[in-house]
Amino acid sequence: MKKRKNKNAWYWMFLAVCLVSLVIVVFIPLAIGIWYSFTDWTGINNPTFIGMKNYARLKDDKLFWHSLLFSAKFSAVSVIAVNTVGLTLAMLVTRNIKGKNALRTIFFMPNLIGGLILGFIWQFIFVDIFDSISRFTGIKAFSGWLADPNTGFWGMVILAVWQMGAYVMVIYIAFIESIPEELLEAAEIDGVTPFQRFRHIIFPLIAPAFTINLFITLSNGFKLFDQNLALTNGGPGNMTQMVALNIYQTAFGESMMAYAQIKAVIFLVIVATFSLTQVYINKKREVEL
Amino acid sequence: MTRKTGQAFLAAIGLILGIIWMFPFYIVLINSFKTQRDIFINTMGLPSKWVIDNYITAAEKLNIATTFFNSLIITVASVAVICTFSSMAAYALERVKSKSSTVLFLVFATAMLIPFQTVMLPLVAEFGRVHMLNRIGLVFMYLGFGSPLAIFLYHGALKSIPRSLDEAAIIDGCSRFQAFWMIIFPSLKPTTVTVAILNIIWIWNDYLLPSLVINKKGMETLPIMIFYFFGQYTKQWHLAMAGLTMVIIPVIIFYFLAQKEIIKGITAGAVKQ
Amino acid sequence: MKRLMCLIFTLVLAVYLLSGCSGGGKTANTESKNAAQAEKVTVDVFQFKVEFKDAFESAAKKYTESHPNVTINVTTVGGGTDYGAALKAKFNSGEEPAVFNVGGPQDVAIWKDKLADVSDTKAAGQALPGLLTGVTIDGKPYGLPYNIEGYGLIYNKDIFTKAGIKAEDINTFEKLEEAVKTLDANKSKLGIDAVFALPAKETWVTGLHMSNAFFSPEFDGDIMKAFNAKTIDFKYQDAMKKMLDLQNKYSVQPTASLDYAAQVQKLFGTGRVAIIQQGNWVFPDLSKMDADFAQNKIGMLPYPVYGYKEDCYPVGVPMYWAFNKNKDPNTLKAAKDFIDWLYLSDEGKKIVMEQFKFIPAYNGYPSDAVSDPLGKQVLAAASQGKAINWVFMGYPDGWGMNKLGQDIQLYVSGQLEWDKLVDNAKKTWAEARK
Repeated sequence: MKKRKNKNAWYWMFLAVCLVSLVIVVFIPLAIGIWYSFTDWTGINNPTFIGMKNYARLKDDKLFWHSLLFSAKFSAVSVIAVNTVGLTLAMLVTRNIKGKNALRTIFFMPNLIGGLILGFIWQFIFVDIFDSISRFTGIKAFSGWLADPNTGFWGMVILAVWQMGAYVMVIYIAFIESIPEELLEAAEIDGVTPFQRFRHIIFPLIAPAFTINLFITLSNGFKLFDQNLALTNGGPGNMTQMVALNIYQTAFGESMMAYAQIKAVIFLVIVATFSLTQVYINKKREVEL
Repeated sequence: MTRKTGQAFLAAIGLILGIIWMFPFYIVLINSFKTQRDIFINTMGLPSKWVIDNYITAAEKLNIATTFFNSLIITVASVAVICTFSSMAAYALERVKSKSSTVLFLVFATAMLIPFQTVMLPLVAEFGRVHMLNRIGLVFMYLGFGSPLAIFLYHGALKSIPRSLDEAAIIDGCSRFQAFWMIIFPSLKPTTVTVAILNIIWIWNDYLLPSLVINKKGMETLPIMIFYFFGQYTKQWHLAMAGLTMVIIPVIIFYFLAQKEIIKGITAGAVKQ
Repeated sequence: MKRLMCLIFTLVLAVYLLSGCSGGGKTANTESKNAAQAEKVTVDVFQFKVEFKDAFESAAKKYTESHPNVTINVTTVGGGTDYGAALKAKFNSGEEPAVFNVGGPQDVAIWKDKLADVSDTKAAGQALPGLLTGVTIDGKPYGLPYNIEGYGLIYNKDIFTKAGIKAEDINTFEKLEEAVKTLDANKSKLGIDAVFALPAKETWVTGLHMSNAFFSPEFDGDIMKAFNAKTIDFKYQDAMKKMLDLQNKYSVQPTASLDYAAQVQKLFGTGRVAIIQQGNWVFPDLSKMDADFAQNKIGMLPYPVYGYKEDCYPVGVPMYWAFNKNKDPNTLKAAKDFIDWLYLSDEGKKIVMEQFKFIPAYNGYPSDAVSDPLGKQVLAAASQGKAINWVFMGYPDGWGMNKLGQDIQLYVSGQLEWDKLVDNAKKTWAEARK
């Protein structure tokens, strides 16, 4: 019994600081936020309790449900695209090729600028430069990317891939490089094809990286805000508005803080369900591999 | 395909991808040397006349020495705290298999999903009430927001470090604390560097949180100052791009150096084995 | 699990108590400090206008020189984020500013618990007639105007001359339409891409400014009527459609992704379009690109509301200074004195005219206070009764930009029928005012 207690003591000590900070920084504000969702809080007034009234209006809020669906679509597409590109880049720069260090730095550079400014720069590219390309080549497809909900969607995917690709690349690299050299050399001597090498040696060993990266890209896809605000600001006609932006607009654009908190709660429940299921499945798969 | 041509082929692909990836930076760099008028007439080409003034004005307006120091101090402190405490927490969660460790791991994971905007106002109110809206408060917030991902990464990496390593040390009379810091933490070096990189770039560039928390003159971070180039209607691109270039360069240098460190760390580990 | 919860609660409690204690200590400290330097007052100003940040800060410094017991801290919110969000965070953090900004009746309603009556300021007495209406409740004013701004159709004089169009003659919608057609027919000769640049991406240009001209007559130019309206008729929707269609049809395409910088600096500033819908605030941007062009080559046409006034300019107050009534009387007094000094003292007037380059909203300024051509025209319009009042600050919060402006984006890109847009506008307005 005494031994067990000791064991627990160090366990909690190691966890304490992170746990406390998380509770204070994230969960207490969240709990306060949930309480606000039952009130008429505008962000300034003293909140009065109004019960479920805010929840009732949610079902008629077409824009919210549209933004949720749009975010889901965006997340699905960007998770696949970002991870495909990120893993490809990681495989490329972990091979023994010329200038691999320079390449790593180059690929990673998009992460060195904040999301809002990146959004502004890409707006520049999609509007001005794509337009010049369209005029120069006569190809209509390059013109007006951000003026149309469909191309606006793909514009955002391109930005996400360009920025996040290398973010997940770094994590893939960390795992790829921890694969013992001898294992790969042995495989080479045995004459396996590059594809087999990837499928049967690298892939299983970087499974934890997959779990992490899928989770990161999925949650980032859902949470995407800065880029959405700066690139399209939801336009045209709020058709490219994602959930985080919708919540933000409700809270600050229309001063309905309490109502925005509800959306946040609903949103969190949905994302948590998706992401945790995905983590669970991946964990199981990791064990099986 | 021989090994050599294969590698040349890969290098060529790398080169092409590199150029695509660099394109937006080319735009930033090239336009940082143009006049405001030139930017709008000729976005893609070289400047018709190279202007260095943008850099001088931007440096002056950014109050660059002080601001740079402010960003540096906050970033370094936050990253140090995140690496220290997250690695410890991850170690506890990974080594002890119990119901609480599973639940807590999921709690940390869930925290990553919460959009910042939804906790923003209550958070600021909470910290304001106890007069913690300053640099220390900000560092503490970064620990709260940053530790889940860091724990995630450390947790993944710890799986490949055999238990026998720290357990042997403990049998030899080390405390958990000693065992962790002397044996486990050093072998987590590649992960630590990764965690550090990811957090440095996030914190270095973060705008919204510091803009809410830092409210003393002379304590502003670089992103806060850069946003003074973006007005209600108009954006002073020529200054913003010069400012951005100056802000990015140190981070690129850091990243390049850190990368060499990772590689060195791995080789060192291999030799020891 | 139970033990875990216990632990968390204990820890949280401990941290709270600890930080609470230190917090308490700090307050006690500052209080005693305040007592020691009794007359010293600190005024925190939280303002949104990045464009005049430097000039405003130096004005504050100048004031401190002659009033050494007053410290003025200016915080400006950088672009790219919402001033409202930052202000709410500021208030929630407990570090409430003494001076901040409100836009009109909608903001006054939101902030009413915090606003101090300004009828005791000199500036309130000197404000030009009618400018305080939008911030007055029950006869008490709660804000002081920053300045006056006005907009219309800014045109390129050289292009007009080349096309043989006399700008002075354009005083009806029909004449405008005719001029636009002439310009369009001679596009290549005049070296322009299109006649207009319509920045539908900027929902404030379409959803607020454009719509304002057509809602103002519906509410008799009374912003309070707009603010109190439960529903709208959209009486001048045909006139608005005419204006939007004209600007969209003859604009550089696609308009839904065209932004302010492209409209003003890239297209108009370099002579690629002849006319843009903008206000006198574009002068500094154009001047920075080409001072001669901005000073001598541009003018402003009236903004025609078909079937109402066709030779007028929408003129109004973009923002008001508001004062936090929860501050102690000393601070409040110092804050009000500062704004009085800024707009009414000789020293302050000089700053307002020469450095802020504002169109003054107060009496007692010389008639040549404004030097730029656009500002002059706005001032002239205001004094000759050729103004259409601004009512958009009386729209429901966020309605103009997030609802109407967004629908206009769909309309101009052919994805929404005009009738549907009108229906949506009526419906969303009514919903917001329920």
